[in-house]
Amino acid sequence: MDLDLTAEQKLIQETARDFARAELEPVAAQLDQGDDRTPFLANLKKLAELGFMGLNVKECYGGSEAGVIAFSVAMTEIARSCASTAVTLSVNNMVCEVIQAVGSEEQKRAYIPRICSGDYAAGSFALTESGAGSDPSGMTTQAVADGDGFVLNGAKLFITSAPYAGLFVVWAVTDREAPKGKGISCFLVEAGSPGLIIGREEKKMGQHASATNELLFDNCRVPATALMGRLNDGFRIAVGELAGGRIGIGSLGLGIGLAAMEYATRYATQRSQFGQKISGFQALQWIIADSFTELEAARLLLMNAAFKKEQGKPFGKEASMAKLYATEAANRACYAATQLLGGYGYTRDFPVERYTRDARICTIYEGTSEIQRLIIAREILRTFS
Amino acid sequence: MKILVCIKQVPDLESRFKPNGSKLWYDEADLAFRMNEYDEYAVEQAVRLREQLGDAADVTVLSIGPDRVGEALKKAMAMGCDRAVHIADPDALLRDPWQIASIIASFAGGRGFDLIFTGMQSQDRGSAQVGVLVAELLGISCSTTLVGFACDGEYVIAKRELEGGIKGVVKLRLPALVTCQLGLNVPRYPTLPNIMKAKRKELLVIPVAELLATGPVAATVSFHPPMRKGSGMVLEGDVSTLVEQVIGILKEKTAVLR
Ligand SMILES: Cc1cc2nc3c(=O)[nH]c(=O)nc-3n(C[C@H](O)[C@H](O)[C@H](O)COP(=O)(O)OP(=O)(O)OC[C@H]3O[C@@H](n4cnc5c(N)ncnc54)[C@H](O)[C@@H]3O)c2cc1C
Repeated sequence: MDLDLTAEQKLIQETARDFARAELEPVAAQLDQGDDRTPFLANLKKLAELGFMGLNVKECYGGSEAGVIAFSVAMTEIARSCASTAVTLSVNNMVCEVIQAVGSEEQKRAYIPRICSGDYAAGSFALTESGAGSDPSGMTTQAVADGDGFVLNGAKLFITSAPYAGLFVVWAVTDREAPKGKGISCFLVEAGSPGLIIGREEKKMGQHASATNELLFDNCRVPATALMGRLNDGFRIAVGELAGGRIGIGSLGLGIGLAAMEYATRYATQRSQFGQKISGFQALQWIIADSFTELEAARLLLMNAAFKKEQGKPFGKEASMAKLYATEAANRACYAATQLLGGYGYTRDFPVERYTRDARICTIYEGTSEIQRLIIAREILRTFS
Repeated sequence: MKILVCIKQVPDLESRFKPNGSKLWYDEADLAFRMNEYDEYAVEQAVRLREQLGDAADVTVLSIGPDRVGEALKKAMAMGCDRAVHIADPDALLRDPWQIASIIASFAGGRGFDLIFTGMQSQDRGSAQVGVLVAELLGISCSTTLVGFACDGEYVIAKRELEGGIKGVVKLRLPALVTCQLGLNVPRYPTLPNIMKAKRKELLVIPVAELLATGPVAATVSFHPPMRKGSGMVLEGDVSTLVEQVIGILKEKTAVLR
């Protein structure tokens, strides 16, 4: 057993941290407040050139072939400085990985290098609909075979990166008669396809630089080659890929939680009340001790899930445990950090306020905490029955 | 052209330092190490020269220290150095500049390096002696504190930083050694594919005993971590002098202004 990172993993962590501090940190607060995404998109391009969009993708498709542990530590470092950049990275990596896992050779060669190189600013993962969130198998977007292709109709909701994505991985019903989840297929839809409409952008609580949009299909025609994987086999693909994405979102949550607690702890060693540093009060020391203990536990859960995935072992339960725990711990860490800063923590002059808003979505997207518990319980109960 | 870059791994300067058991240096436990900042300028300049000369150039990166310096060497290879030499020495941090320079000179002697890059100084010990001592031991020309560099294969044109913002230009015939200062270049981030590929590059390990033949000439007598300071620097005067002072400080002490 070895809990140390390899030299390569450490260097990737260092590179992510150096980049995040030098390039992401200085613009994060401004991006949180404004509408101009120019610096955000410019940094995504630089991150792509450094190899952060395909960490667990083979070199022959333009990936870095650095593995899942490297992906997790890189996500954490990026999220420490900018959660919006981190979520975009997480989704881009997930899109590359799903194509690598189930795409045809032509699809892999056509799309993965474009996301890895930054030619496409982003890829989108379009699963959720207004009536199908936690239960995506209830989706109604349809794809009907028509001549030498398919025609898509319907609407997706909450799609990360939609306005600047070059490619959309889209799930749609292809067999309405099939039992739930058995009649869904997966398509690769290029931006600019006729009938693909980028809808309204959500006004969110946090992660402002990352766009979240509605996506509409109005007789959107795609060629037969847009089908990814086998017909009616799409739901299984989505479920499998989300497990990997959960390692990304857990790592993202960890990064925000660490940023909040590191900021707050430093603050507590400088702020005086009652004639002493507030870090001298045992009440606050216990908050610091508990928060860092939880974040360390989150890190170890993430490393365990990442290690299992990297080894090619089943990791679904572990990824759900890590995502559940890390994102909940991150929210508790942000709450604690605000408490340590007192009134200052509630103002925009201090970054803890932004961290707190950015962390909130982490227990919701890529499967809510409740859904993670459902998956974990199902896996555990299976071994008892 | 055979190029050598000498790098040191130093603690992250944001760390809290405390004296070690012997009270002669800092305690290494709990410290995160990384490549000395000035050495990053050295690596970057060597890699740029390699890119300029193509396969006619070959860059070796060298570091003396315990196992962990392998990480710094891999970073240098990920940035573009061709091969690495790790001189395995668990006590490297305790050695004086003379011993370090002697080890490097004894490795480099007879290997025909045309150009050697080092950092201007290390961020921890800060002696600024290793580079010049290596040049002296090898009997080659040397210029320090570079903020500008050009090389045509026969001569190096070095722009040096002198005191008070004055620059000097020096022409050196190869073989030569130069020490690199902040402002020389902006080191690249190693790309992730290159970090992974660096694993396949040659990393030669040489025990220090094979190269060290001399004792120290200077001994550290005691080590003092910085006193906790209550306040920062206070500048006084009217606005125009204040602005000048701030710009001067930012230029000289930070990377914010160049
Ligand atoms: C900023 C943002 C970005 C997003 N990005 C993407 C994206 O890129 N692609 C994409 O496809 N989707 C994306 N989503 C959608 C996200 O994955 C969903 O919002 C999430 O899965 C929850 O679905 P819902 O919002 O419909 O909530 P609902 O499913 O309606 O859930 C409401 C509540 O009911 C609970 N609940 C539901 N079912 C159960 C159950 N069986 N047992 C117990 N409790 C249950 C939930 O846990 C939750 O607390 C994004 C969402 C946001 C806000």
